[in-house]
Amino acid sequence: MATYATELPLRPELDASHAEAMAHFASPGTWWTGAERLTMVAEVRRARAAEPLPAWRAPSDVDGLVADDHLLPPAAVDAVWRLTNHPGTLTADWHRSILDRGIGPLAYVELVSVVAQANCVDRFADALELERMSLPEPVEGEPTRLVPEAAEVRLHWVPTDDIGGPNVYLALSAVPAELVARSALSTPHYLEGQAVFGDVVSDRFSLQRVQIELVAGRTSKLNECFY
Amino acid sequence: MSGIGDGDGGIRHGAVLVRLVDAIWGGGPGELDAAREAVIEAAGADVLVDAVAVSANFHMMTRVADGTGTPLDPGTDEMSAPWRAELGVDGFASRRHVPAN
Repeated sequence: MATYATELPLRPELDASHAEAMAHFASPGTWWTGAERLTMVAEVRRARAAEPLPAWRAPSDVDGLVADDHLLPPAAVDAVWRLTNHPGTLTADWHRSILDRGIGPLAYVELVSVVAQANCVDRFADALELERMSLPEPVEGEPTRLVPEAAEVRLHWVPTDDIGGPNVYLALSAVPAELVARSALSTPHYLEGQAVFGDVVSDRFSLQRVQIELVAGRTSKLNECFY
Repeated sequence: MSGIGDGDGGIRHGAVLVRLVDAIWGGGPGELDAAREAVIEAAGADVLVDAVAVSANFHMMTRVADGTGTPLDPGTDEMSAPWRAELGVDGFASRRHVPAN
């Protein structure tokens, strides 16, 4: 069954990738439960719908914006909002401040992954005026807490695994389940991983490669992403 | 890419694709409607869907890169140096390089 009800020509693998992402959000992760992960997705939606806050103003500092009994720690809510609304303003000091408030370095990596993927899924739906997917019930279970043996801080703020590849590919590598999920979501939207740097001329879907990179580059610039 | 100048920039349907990306980023509902229609009229609905998919992917990848402090790969860093200033990206807070040994 299709994820979205639309007459637009959505490729089946693209449509399915969003349902798979939502199922992934709802499942226990490596450091967060399914309920916590779905709450992150809900916070992405709340952040985008809220009256804009300056980048330096954390939602947990605004009276009434984050409930005292929120499922997520305030630092996690603050990170979700900042990543969603002000990704180009992030600094190493900000990252350190989130860890200093009790978020583990690998739990932070997983949070980044969920927030980034939720932004992809919802922004796609919004841009085509499709009804956003509703949040499912969380899958019960405990996080796996699996840590790659070689995970350590190298070139990024966050620990990465020693698996080789472009730096952006390595970014989530210390939480392998998130690297897999992010790659699975990315492929039907953009390119197969190997083609990103290895094949810069082939067309993809209905787009010429140069059109793909125009859209990618323009979106990255609007997000003030240097990478 | 930088928003300077008119026309397609030598890329097929470049102007309507940029208009679409900008409308996804910050256009009101009317502008997004108009941008979508412009892409459909110029290039077709499949191009609209695929362009939105690429843009959505980069709303994801920018957050992965900037949320994790990902530095530019040395090869890309060197290659992009001549035109980064022209694009206006060297002043971004997200600018990060691999430290030189």
